[in-house]
Parts: sequence; structure tokens; C-alpha cells
Amino acid sequence: MPRTEDARLLTGLGRYLADHDVAGLHHVAFARSTLAHADIAGIDVAAAATLDGVVAVVTAADLRAAGARPLSHRLAPPYQPLSWELLAVDRVRHVGEPVVAVVAASRAVAEDAVELLDIDYRELPPVVGPAAAMAPGAPLLYPEWGTNEFVHLEGSTAGVEEALAAAPHRLQESFESHRVIGLPLEAHGAQGSWDPARGQLTLISSAQQPHQLRSVVAEACGLREAAVRVISPDMGGGFGNKQHFTREECLVGMLAIMTGRPLRWSADRTEALTASVHSRPQVHHVDAGFDDRGRVVALRVAVTSDLGHPVLYFSGIGPSLVTVGALSGGYAFPEVGWSLSAVATTTCPVGAYRGFGQPQAHLSTERVLDRIAQRLGVDPLDVRRANLLPAEPRPWRTYSGGLVDCGDLHAMVDTLVAEFGYHEWRHRQAEARSAGRHLGVGLSTLVQGTAPNQHDTAARFGSLETAMVTVLPDATVTVAVGTKSQGQGHETVFAQIAADALGVGPEAVTVADGDTGRLPYGQGTWGSRSTVMGGGAVVTACRRLRARMAAIAAHLGLTLPEEGPVDADVLAAVAATAWWVQHRLPPGVEPGLSTTVTYTPGRTNPSADGLQNHDETYSSHMTAVAVEVDPATGSVTVLDALCVSDCGVVVNPTLVEGQHQGAFAQGLGNVLWEEVRYSPDGQPLCATLLDYTIPSSLDVPRLRVVHQPTPSATAGGFRGVGEAGLIALPAAMVGAVEDALSPLGVRLNSTRLHPPAIRAAVRATGWRPDPAAWAAAGLEDRRR
Amino acid sequence: MSRPVRLTVNGAPASFDVEDRTTLLDALRDELGLTGTHAGCEQGACGACSVLLDGEIVRSCLLLAVQAGGRTVTTIEAVGSPGRLHPVQEALRRHHGLQCGYCTPGVVLTAIDLLERVADPDEEEVREALAGNLCRCTGYAGLVDAVLAAARDAGPGR
Repeated sequence: MPRTEDARLLTGLGRYLADHDVAGLHHVAFARSTLAHADIAGIDVAAAATLDGVVAVVTAADLRAAGARPLSHRLAPPYQPLSWELLAVDRVRHVGEPVVAVVAASRAVAEDAVELLDIDYRELPPVVGPAAAMAPGAPLLYPEWGTNEFVHLEGSTAGVEEALAAAPHRLQESFESHRVIGLPLEAHGAQGSWDPARGQLTLISSAQQPHQLRSVVAEACGLREAAVRVISPDMGGGFGNKQHFTREECLVGMLAIMTGRPLRWSADRTEALTASVHSRPQVHHVDAGFDDRGRVVALRVAVTSDLGHPVLYFSGIGPSLVTVGALSGGYAFPEVGWSLSAVATTTCPVGAYRGFGQPQAHLSTERVLDRIAQRLGVDPLDVRRANLLPAEPRPWRTYSGGLVDCGDLHAMVDTLVAEFGYHEWRHRQAEARSAGRHLGVGLSTLVQGTAPNQHDTAARFGSLETAMVTVLPDATVTVAVGTKSQGQGHETVFAQIAADALGVGPEAVTVADGDTGRLPYGQGTWGSRSTVMGGGAVVTACRRLRARMAAIAAHLGLTLPEEGPVDADVLAAVAATAWWVQHRLPPGVEPGLSTTVTYTPGRTNPSADGLQNHDETYSSHMTAVAVEVDPATGSVTVLDALCVSDCGVVVNPTLVEGQHQGAFAQGLGNVLWEEVRYSPDGQPLCATLLDYTIPSSLDVPRLRVVHQPTPSATAGGFRGVGEAGLIALPAAMVGAVEDALSPLGVRLNSTRLHPPAIRAAVRATGWRPDPAAWAAAGLEDRRR
Repeated sequence: MSRPVRLTVNGAPASFDVEDRTTLLDALRDELGLTGTHAGCEQGACGACSVLLDGEIVRSCLLLAVQAGGRTVTTIEAVGSPGRLHPVQEALRRHHGLQCGYCTPGVVLTAIDLLERVADPDEEEVREALAGNLCRCTGYAGLVDAVLAAARDAGPGR
């Protein structure tokens, strides 16, 4: 079924953040730190403040005087204490940190005024990368911590050390995931207006979680939550990048209150690239013990995570905590131990991006299995089969307390082998090798936690979702839901779910999301949760209404079946009676046809041993890719890719495929082109889309998708799908490229598969290409 | 300093006073309220702001509004309507060639431009034509399918 949202989006009638002009709208620009680490010795605003068109020039001191409150990560020890004001006070700790806000009649004038500010910085030594941060004598971001380590945590099953010591074979490796950015095509932004008579702040924000944003903005602005309404309009993507509750959103609220003007901040691309949220940088030191059959008997992973400057409302620690809980994935590793050293550096804050800590964990587990296959000289597929969870029991309890409820993984691998043509690809690979070409196959056998939460750690991320479903007197249906579509097509998905449950056509259903004025609370969209949680809430509400409809129909002498389509005349009679003729309702039946449901599957409560299942359910995705690599130029060509996917009950196969194709493209971008880089002095080197290159239509082949659904036990049977492709792909691609180059002895231990990285890995083996090919590679480099 | 600009937008005369530094993108959005043209990067890299200038596809973020004086601009607002989609729009809808929709107006205009020039493009030509329109959501599969289908449905002699 095509999407209902498409007609407006195709014709330019979508209303994104910057499409909400109102009379008297003013614009906000921020002066951001130009240095990675510096003391602010003084700020001279005089020239900026007197520029024609400028309404306000605001510093941290002005905000404090106006009643703004600092934000904090809301974490208890052992996390280091940390709070921060909306604008930097006395010291800046990353390039891009906001220092001064300007409000002016136009964006151009606001930016002119920023140029006129005189901010006197006293430069301090930068801290770039975890190694520099943890070196003895390193400059400290927060001297009161006495270290740059934001937190050190450890966890382990009882027998890791013994199992490692007794293991027939050992493997010790380091694997790195490099820094990237989610990069929605519409950058972040917010628009605020203050109604002094009602004491009401309205904030339009391109935000994935409007209700939690309301909580945070109310707190920062010193307002009651009831005094703030947050509206998330059409969004030009999110991917986690719009999940954090940013200083800028709170600033827009405060500036609207302080100036009394409606005003908008709309990030430009450079702000988005250098001063929003980066993701992924982790190094894993892995120690694995395994037996002669390739079964892992123990895995120990020491994770070092670069948090950047950790001033994110729910701290950037979230993804790292997911990483250390997801190290066994869909595998029956009997003993797992981990440590996490999360380190602050003077770089952009690190936080959420589609996958949220799982890609890094998955990289390590898949790399370990590939390396075991190499060591034992067996097929990496067989090593996976030896380690995958057995078909029973379910749930399978993991080392970290996970209650994995996935389907039969071995059956999915069988499908992967058949549909991908695994053995045929191995045959082609052998032929190519004998012809001097380098083909490789990479595997990812992923079990992904979905609909997650981190109770007691990431504050204000509950595991519930809210939906209000109403059958109106004319028998049309409205659905309001607390999730927030960023382009996934929720208007269509939830309409289909509601229509199916109520027995009406999907065209009868209108879906609304992204408005705190419509629903008491909601949790937004992230963590592959929307269909599981929002869909669960919608289906539960519809089932309740349908029971009421059936009771009313029976009382009227009409027939309304428990399932399947409902006769239009019967529905019309029931709806009209419910709203307009209460004396004809059966005794005890609630009048009207509207209900609000707050739904939780209830599977993520802490258990007695202190562990917690962090995911309401789990989806499974078996991926294989075939690549050809030119060792001379380092170029990688994807020849084929296939995913066997179990995301539970599939509501709309086209939209699920769209999620897979899109995540596949982001995964390719992640490894083949994208990297956020910094100079040694902490200056961002990627400030435009010309130096942070995302895939184009020339770069992304088609992913083949095969569905093998197993309904979950959640209401509706959904499992979630949004992040899977991006979790799976880096691991699969690194495996494939290394496999292609294995005759040369190439080993790849990072997610960087850019041509220079591959050439460096090839050079490290001593292999030397034909000089003409090197010349071509040089041209390629200059072109990039 | 502002100066007057007169041009034709979507078939009708239009005029506004803008500073010399105002981009065509900003003038279309702020002066004429045509918000279907989107600012993706304002650096000429992403193609979200694509419009037709005298029938040729251009990036409105890289042009000054004053450069459009006396010329003809076509934006997404002139292409189809929700109740009557252009064949390219209909094909994008049918083939799930959009998700968030932010790049979509630029994609629609680029695809129309391609089909004006090449009656029967193959997949490679479609991918080449769309290479300047970055999409972060779809992975391009549905988008390429849609443009190929639109070309096919338009039939020979187009």
C-alpha cells in the first residue's frame, strides 16, 4: 500500500521546521567556539548589539539572570558529576560549543552580528582521542574529576577467567569503530513563541521525542511541563541525531521568553556536521577462547569509548552501555566479561545514531568468529552455526540479563545460504582467485534488541507508548500516537494497524503524531521501537474499542464480528449511537468511541540478580555480502547483498524493505566513505558535504530482502526493523573485504574501508601492485 | 541594500526586493512563500534546493536571487498536486522512492529534467542523473525504480 504522507511530500507541501513562518518571526544565530579548549577571558557584545535589526545578544550570564537553569546528565556515581549551562560559562571544550546567542530580524543579520562579537579566548591544550585523554599528565576537561575518564564499569559472568585459561585456543585482537554522523538531510532546528498572557511556551522542533523534550525544556526554562507545548512537524530525517534534547532547543525557548518574539534557529550544514552529535568511536580489546569446533567458550572485551565533550542531556554514555550488553548477540557464548572506559575529549559530543552502540558490539563478535574460522581453516558460516543460539529455550537469557525471544536462527541461516547462493559465491570466489581477482564474502548473523530502555540510567526513557484511538460519529477514525515519524511512514503503518484491528479501510484512518498537545505523554521514535511500542498501543486501543463496538452492535440487534471487516452500515449505526444516543447503549458500556491506551510489554524490569533485559523484544537479520576489491587502488565494489529478515509481523512489506535499503546505504557509507575527522589541535576537518561524503545514487546497489517472520509475544506481534541494516553492514563489509584480500594476508581491524585505508592494509603485507595501477589510485585520491 | 527583482515563477510574474546577497533559495522561500524548495546544505552539494531556471536544473542555493531577474523559474509547487500527481511523482509514490521527503522536490525536478532530455534512460543514466541529489533515507533503490518506471510509462515518442 503506498504511503498516505507521500502526496504532500511529493508536491512540496510537507511542512518541515523552516516552513512555519509567522508574523514577526525573528531568527537566532549562535557564536560557537572556534577552539577545542580555551578559557573565555571576555566577551564584547557592543558592536553586535547595536547592529540594525538585532534584538538581543545573550550570554550565559544573561540567561542565568533570566532564570535559565543548567542541564545535567542526571547520572549518579560512579559517573562523574556534570552539569552545564545553555551557553558556555568561562571555558569552552569543543569547537562548536555555543557561547553567545543573537536574535535578529533576519538570519543574515543575526549571522552578521555573530561576526561582530569579540570573544577573547585563552587557548588551552586540546584533548583529541581517548589515548591522549588517558595519557599521564593529559590536560583535563574537568579538573575536579582528576581524570578525563567519565566512567569505568565492569561486568562478568562467574567463570570468564577460568574458561579463558582453559580454552584450547585463544584470540587477542583490537577492533575499532570510527567516528561518523547520522546526518539527516534536514538539519536540526527549533522555533519558539511565548504567550505571556497564558504563560505558555510553544516550541516547534525537529525532534524525535517531543514529550521528553517538553520535560527538558520546561526544566531548563523554569516552567511547569503544562506550560510548554512541543510540536514536531514533518521531519527531514532523524536517525538518532535529533534524539538528544539539545542546548539549542532550550535556548530557543529561553530566547522566546526573554525577547517576547517568535523566533527560529535552523542549523546550517556546518553546525550540523561539527556541533550536533557524532557517533560510534570505540576501540575494543578482545580476548576470546574457543574450542576445536570453533565454539567460543569465553569472550572478554575491554571497550574504550570516546564520548567527546559529554554535554548531552542523556549522556552520550548510552550507546556504550548498549555495546557492553550486546556482546553475545545471537550467540550462545557461555562466559562473557567486559569493561568500559568512557572518556571525555575536546571534540563534538558523541551520542545516538541508528544502531546506538550495537554496531560496535556486532563488529567485535563477527570479527571474532571470522578470525576463529581463519585460525581453524573452516568456513565462517560453520563457525556461526556452531555458536548461534539453539532453537530452544526461549527466552534465552544472556550474560547481561537479556531475554532473547527471537525465532529459529538456524532456519534463517539455511534460508540465507539458499537465497544468497552462498556456496555458488564461494565457487565464483575460487574461480576469480585463480584469475588473479579478489572476491570476498562477508557474513553478519545479527540478533538485535529492539524497543529498548535504560531504566535508572538514561533518565526519562520509559518503556511505554501511548495511543488515543477514536471512531468519530461519521465512522472515520483518528489515531494519535506518542511515537514520531521522521520519514519512516508511520501515518501509513499505524493506519494499517488500526484499520486491520477495527475492520475498516485504511483510508478511513487519520494518524497524527509529534504533538504534546494531543496526548498526555509518549516516548518518541528511536531504538527500532515505533511499530513494537506505538503499534502495540494502537492495536490494544483498537481491540478495546472493537469490544465496545461489538457490545453496542449486539444491543442494537446488529452483528459485528470479533475479527475481519465490519459492515459499514453497522459501524455507522454503532458510532452514531455511541456518541449521540446514550440511552440505547447496553448497561455499563462507556459512552462514546474513544480510548487512550498506555502500553508496555513489561519485559524490561530489573531482575533479582541486578541485571536487566533492556529490550522488549528482539529481531533477527542474517546478511551476506559479496564484494570485489582492487588491492592496488583500494576500491571496493559490492557485487551482491542479501538480508533474511525477521522483524515479526510485517505490516507493510514495502516500508520494511525501505528501512532495509536505507540502512544498507548508510552502512555502506559508514565503511566506504564517511568519517568525521579532527586535526591534532581539535579542529573539525569535515564541515561540508564535500569533505563528509555520503553515498549517492551511483554508490548504492540494491539489497535483496527476504522475510522470514516470527511473531513476537508483544501486542500485534511486531519486532522492529529500523536499525538492523546499519548494525549488520559494517561487520559484514569488513568481513567481506578482508575475505577478498585474504590471499594477500590482509587483516582489517577497523570499520574504515576507504581506499586509502585498504591500500595501507595491503601495503602492510608487503604486497606491491603494478605501478600503473598506483598512478590511477593517486588520481583517485586527488579526486576525492 | 535591497534592489527589485522581476522574474517569472511557475508561469506567473513575480517580483520582490532583496539584498544582493540573498540566494534564490531564500528569495523563493522567504519572499514568495514557496517552501517546497528545501535547504539541505547551502553548499551546492546535496541538490535538495534544485529548481528549473529557464528549463535547466540548477541549485537555488548557489544562485543569487538577482541573477534570476528576467528569467523563468519552476519550483516543485508547479509540478502536480496532491490530487493530481505528475507521472514522476506518481511513480515515486508507487515505488517507495521517498521516505522523509526532504530531498524529494529536488529529485522530482531532476527526474523531470532527465526525462525531457532522454526519452528512454537505462538504469545507469538514471543513477548518473540523480547523483547530485543526495538522499539519506531510501538507499536510492525505490527512487531509481520510480524514474525508470516513469520513463517506461511515458511510452515512446515522449
